Amino acid sequence: MGETITWLQKLSNRIYGIPAVAQWWARRAAQRSASLDVDDDAIPFARLRKPLSTARGVLMTTGGVHLIEQTPFDMETPQGDATYREIPVNATPAQLTITHNYYDHRDADADLNVIFPLAHLQELVGQKVIGSLAPRHYGFMGHIDGELVTTLTQHTAPEVAAKLRADGVDFALLTPA
Amino acid sequence: MGLIARAIERVGIPTVSISIARDLTAAVGAPRAVFVKWPLGHPLGEPHAPLQQRTVIFRALHLLMHADVPGVIDEPGYRWRRESYEEPDWSRLA
Repeated sequence: MGETITWLQKLSNRIYGIPAVAQWWARRAAQRSASLDVDDDAIPFARLRKPLSTARGVLMTTGGVHLIEQTPFDMETPQGDATYREIPVNATPAQLTITHNYYDHRDADADLNVIFPLAHLQELVGQKVIGSLAPRHYGFMGHIDGELVTTLTQHTAPEVAAKLRADGVDFALLTPA
Repeated sequence: MGLIARAIERVGIPTVSISIARDLTAAVGAPRAVFVKWPLGHPLGEPHAPLQQRTVIFRALHLLMHADVPGVIDEPGYRWRRESYEEPDWSRLA
């Protein structure tokens, strides 16, 4: 993964790592997303129906996290990769890796909790703050554009949502790249 | 990421997202988000900073329990590398 990143991509990632530049990028992306029109306008809103201490949580990230033995995300297609990887709840940081060339993940490589805080959630279950965790968690590669946005919203995301229902999930925590 | 959150919310499961890109999160219409103005790739903060990371999780879970407006974005205003963090009072989520 890291070997394939060009010096230009590294420079770009350094620049986008500056918080103010990231916000500038977010404004640009927001303007572009307005023209995508992939979704209806009303924001869906469900409520937590039980105490957190009895609720089952799931962790999802668009930071490109997956098991080392799983197929890496496709970094060659300009529109990105709308697939996802299932991560078992007992996966250790040493079993996981990050495939995502569009952000600087050296800090997340050093401490996966920076982007995928499964270890913290496991501790919170031990402290009885959270009831339990789902048997599987999810890694996406968030750099998606063009018609793959429709693939994500019409196929991939609803498929995962159905899996969450099947696993008895009560709430989801999502982290970006 | 907001689009994934919406799909999950649509089947009746509440979501809370951590956002590093405020305007994009607002434009996509994520159901609930905690915004931190930090570098891309650092939604929970710095490496090997468990108190900072757990503080962000606390804010997210607190918002999950208490948000009553779709599309709310909580902005704690944490500065990058210029804050000190304590262990959150988890009993407040009980």
